[in-house]
Amino acid sequence: MHDNDGIMKEIARALRAHRPPVSASFDERVMSAVRRLPPHSRFRLWSRLTTPRTVTVIPLSWGLLAASVALFAVIGVARAFDDVQIATKPMITALFPNARAPQPPQRVQFVLVAPDAKKVAVVGDFNGWDADHASYQAQHRGGGVWSVTAPVPVGHHRYSFVVDDSLWVADPTAPRVVDNDFGVANSAMVVQEQK
Amino acid sequence: MEGSSDGVIVARVLRGDVDAFRVLVNRYRDKYARYAFHMLGNREDAEEALQDAFTRAYRSLARCEDPERFGAWLFRILVNRCRTLGARRGRRARTFVVDEGAILEAAEDHPAERNAWREEIDRGLQQLRADQREAFLLKYVEDMGYDEMSQLTGVGVSALKMRVMRACDRLRELLSEVHSA
Amino acid sequence: MNRGVQIVVGLLCVARTVFAQDARLSARLDKPTLTAVTAIVDSARISKLPTAPLIDKALEGAAKGSDGQNIITAVHQLSVRMGSAKRALASNATPDEINAAASALDAGISVRDLARLRAAAGKRSLTLPLAVLTDLVGEKVPIPTATNLVLQLVRSGVKDAELAMFQRNFRADVDHGADPTVAATTRARGFVVARGGGATTKPPE
Repeated sequence: MHDNDGIMKEIARALRAHRPPVSASFDERVMSAVRRLPPHSRFRLWSRLTTPRTVTVIPLSWGLLAASVALFAVIGVARAFDDVQIATKPMITALFPNARAPQPPQRVQFVLVAPDAKKVAVVGDFNGWDADHASYQAQHRGGGVWSVTAPVPVGHHRYSFVVDDSLWVADPTAPRVVDNDFGVANSAMVVQEQK
Repeated sequence: MEGSSDGVIVARVLRGDVDAFRVLVNRYRDKYARYAFHMLGNREDAEEALQDAFTRAYRSLARCEDPERFGAWLFRILVNRCRTLGARRGRRARTFVVDEGAILEAAEDHPAERNAWREEIDRGLQQLRADQREAFLLKYVEDMGYDEMSQLTGVGVSALKMRVMRACDRLRELLSEVHSA
Repeated sequence: MNRGVQIVVGLLCVARTVFAQDARLSARLDKPTLTAVTAIVDSARISKLPTAPLIDKALEGAAKGSDGQNIITAVHQLSVRMGSAKRALASNATPDEINAAASALDAGISVRDLARLRAAAGKRSLTLPLAVLTDLVGEKVPIPTATNLVLQLVRSGVKDAELAMFQRNFRADVDHGADPTVAATTRARGFVVARGGGATTKPPE
């Protein structure tokens, strides 16, 4: 048998020599996924335009035009949608003094008792149903109790818990939404501004 | 186009030639499938991680600082995808799936014997902690130096050395048990 | 200049919305589904319906691993319900009210009852009353009973905080085994009486 000194070399050699076959359709699957993404020639221009910059409101006619271009640059960061809503609040108020400023999101606590879970996330129409969204990952508090306090905009929302990235669980303490178009019922909530 | 350097192909893709990306997929697919397979333990997960890495690389291509070293940059993305996928699936019982396709690989002198040995190694690898397995594969299979590994993983050199050492100790133990049984 | 700036910012906000929608949907939907969903969203925008719920519905379907046809059907049905909701609630209904009303329609509440609620509520937001109504129906309180209870609550002037309390108490009762209709009726009576009305009080027209 292999002596201990040589065994690491044997292992490394065997692993290096291994070329696991990849499915014949692999390349095509990657290219299909890639073609669904925004093409690059527009994307580069967009990313240059949307790099966040400091925005100042200048209350003169040309200044307003410059401010609206800067507003465009800030707003265009699609993935920072929620942050942008908050960031543009003073801008909108300055440009439209009579307009009602958007209400800030409220901090809402979500709690689920799931003793066997290894991961619990909150998903809903406030975070694109994204189970990997960093702000909506619940922490285990002990005894199978998971909770997270996270921002939710004021208004009517549908949401759910996702356990271990695979199991969708409606909030047992919340009303259900009847429309379970996709075979799994969601929960409903109405978030109101704290005065 | 196939013979062009990574930098040339990346520049074409960034000018809007989506199909040029296929050359990079073809170029790096097999090389990195090996790492993903040994890290995750089965072909399906490995292909998912690899496909995900390519898609992310495409999406972020404008941010690749050194397009001539696209491969290394892609590999960094793959290492991270394997960590994420491994963490999500790692709590299920780790079973190493025998890859029927791999058994029919290109002829070697004693293909059945070599494959059985490699499968034992892979079973042993799957019993390591993920961070030890990662460090072991980067050091022994991808042949990286510790400084390079540290840059790739964000982990300090001494911690990496410890992980590699523990991985080796554990693998020796597991594989000696198999052979003395 | 003010008007000019409004137009510029309005156009930019539409561009923002379209691009944000493109990025999130195109990252998660296949091409045929994306094309169909985009058409439904564009049509809703032209009809001055809120588009965010439609995009969210598509994202929800993608997150749940649903196939393209199901996603398209769900988004289309939601847009139809939102159109009906908007007509029932009148043109100044807020996006949240339309969204909540669309859920209520899906639960079986009629367009006529939506209009009755609007008439009873006056300027007050209907978002929470609609959500409470949908919840009652979801817990199998018969639709006519649930609708009348919520109408009484709204007419008696209960505030949103009290309505939220009503809903919590109702759910707690149901969780403890109470019959939903009895629980809802009992709790509603308590609120209405506390505000100086009674279960038998004829609501003012």
